Amino acid sequence: MMSAAGIPILQVTALAKRFGGLQALDGVELAVAPGEFRAIIGPNGAGKSTFFNTITGLLRPDSGRVIFEGRDVAGTAPHLLVRQGMGRTFQITSMFPDLSVRENLQVALLAHARRNWSIWPYARQMHTERAHELLHLVGLPGDAGLPAGTLAHGDQKRLELAIALAGEPRLLLLDEPTAGMAAQERIESISLVHRLATQLGVSCVFTEHDMAVVFAVATNITVLHQGRVLAEGSPAQVRANPLVQQVYLGESITSEGVCR
Amino acid sequence: MSRKVPIALGGALALAALPFAISDFWIFIAIEVLAFALYAVSFNVLLGYGGMLSFGHAAFFGIGAYAAALLVKKAGMAPGLAFALFPLAAMAAAALVAAIIGFFSVRRSGIYFGMLTFAFQMLLYTIALKATGLTGGDDGITGLKPPGAFARPAVYYYFALAITVPALYVLYRLVSSPFGTILRALRSNPRRVQTIGVNVRSHQLAAFVISGAFAGLAGALFAMSSGNVFPGWLNWTASATPIVMAVLGGVSTFLGPALGAAVYVVLEVMISGRTEYWPLAMGVIILALVLLMPAGLTGLARARRT
Repeated sequence: MMSAAGIPILQVTALAKRFGGLQALDGVELAVAPGEFRAIIGPNGAGKSTFFNTITGLLRPDSGRVIFEGRDVAGTAPHLLVRQGMGRTFQITSMFPDLSVRENLQVALLAHARRNWSIWPYARQMHTERAHELLHLVGLPGDAGLPAGTLAHGDQKRLELAIALAGEPRLLLLDEPTAGMAAQERIESISLVHRLATQLGVSCVFTEHDMAVVFAVATNITVLHQGRVLAEGSPAQVRANPLVQQVYLGESITSEGVCR
Repeated sequence: MSRKVPIALGGALALAALPFAISDFWIFIAIEVLAFALYAVSFNVLLGYGGMLSFGHAAFFGIGAYAAALLVKKAGMAPGLAFALFPLAAMAAAALVAAIIGFFSVRRSGIYFGMLTFAFQMLLYTIALKATGLTGGDDGITGLKPPGAFARPAVYYYFALAITVPALYVLYRLVSSPFGTILRALRSNPRRVQTIGVNVRSHQLAAFVISGAFAGLAGALFAMSSGNVFPGWLNWTASATPIVMAVLGGVSTFLGPALGAAVYVVLEVMISGRTEYWPLAMGVIILALVLLMPAGLTGLARARRT
């Protein structure tokens, strides 16, 4: 579903991926307009993870195209996609636990500045200002010298978001951004992502189990089922779609309180 | 920070004055310490910083030693020229071999990475053992001798010091640099490093080649001091040495493995002078080490301070 005018930042056409006897992705189509906050939902085994890993370059699709900002990037190595402006976060919180909070961001900023091969200057004082800006941006004003692994889980998620934003992505892919959080924390967390993405002009695509989270922030929703797009549209449209209610949302819509 | 300067000055003075204070035998041991300190620190760039446990690091130490020995004995060069070139030749040969071994090994991680380095090392060991025409086979290459005054232990000691200290400094700058910072992040979470835009394999390969090159330099320095090189230097049991030294000294500090090397070499000399059961003593030391002070000697010192 193309909402606003203009070229989609991400366009996926006829994407297919098979694992042995399982057709994990079976001709998935998706178009995300700049500025969207798109949710990908679907029951377990719907193909969300495969879809995510294929877009982000961890898996090579059997066929189909992934067009990012007008260029076909299907099969491009993950690190090159990141350099082109496609950031991602992981379902399991993924940062550098034995580096300090500050160093976590310095590493991301060094990589973003292509300083990977700089082997002589001391890195300790590099990008410290920008690191602190990012920490304030995500609401982590505490002691940046502490090992990141000692942060509370919610703060680790904030740090991971800051790491992703350090690369100045234009599209951010978030895999289950609220996994492992308490219900109240989830809404706060996704609202932070939503606020920062809007503020920085970053388009987002995220997968999510919690319907309350999805309906709180998503501009559009794509429902995957058995490797295909079952439905797509605004939250209201998806909620009203009888097909969606039948195969997936029925019980969770009522139980997660969306129909309150 | 301010404590570092006097410690460094004191250390430099002690190292410079050492040959005046000890016998030729102990100068010989001091040279061994320098070579193995460089070996252990270069190995720890992979283990302590990159989180890559190489089970085949003796390959690079051995290749460096053989490269130096062949240059001196078989290249037909003037002895002075061969001597001037052997450090660079050893590093180049070890770097080349590390590039080939690393190219395949960094494609796997953890135990599989270790097993690949192990397998390549056994391959090289077999070549060193069987290519008799080149390597002298089981007999190794003997009779290596630095030219002129360099043959005197004290002079060779200063020569080794003048190579080891700058080499360690280069490695220190490396691990403190952006490259080294990203290497530490790799130890922590390779997948995340990939998604900040870093080619993980290339980064690991570069670290592997640099580490191997300096291990080769260490092997060559030791070979020119001991006067010989044997295939056993490439055997898998020799690959345990830098692991033990690094763990003994502490893998989480830059110079910890150097301290570990010094303690290891001196203990080996003292214990093997008194008993033939040196390996037994070593076993007990390793057991005590891992059970009582898993952070190594430097970890112990740090724990006492805080």
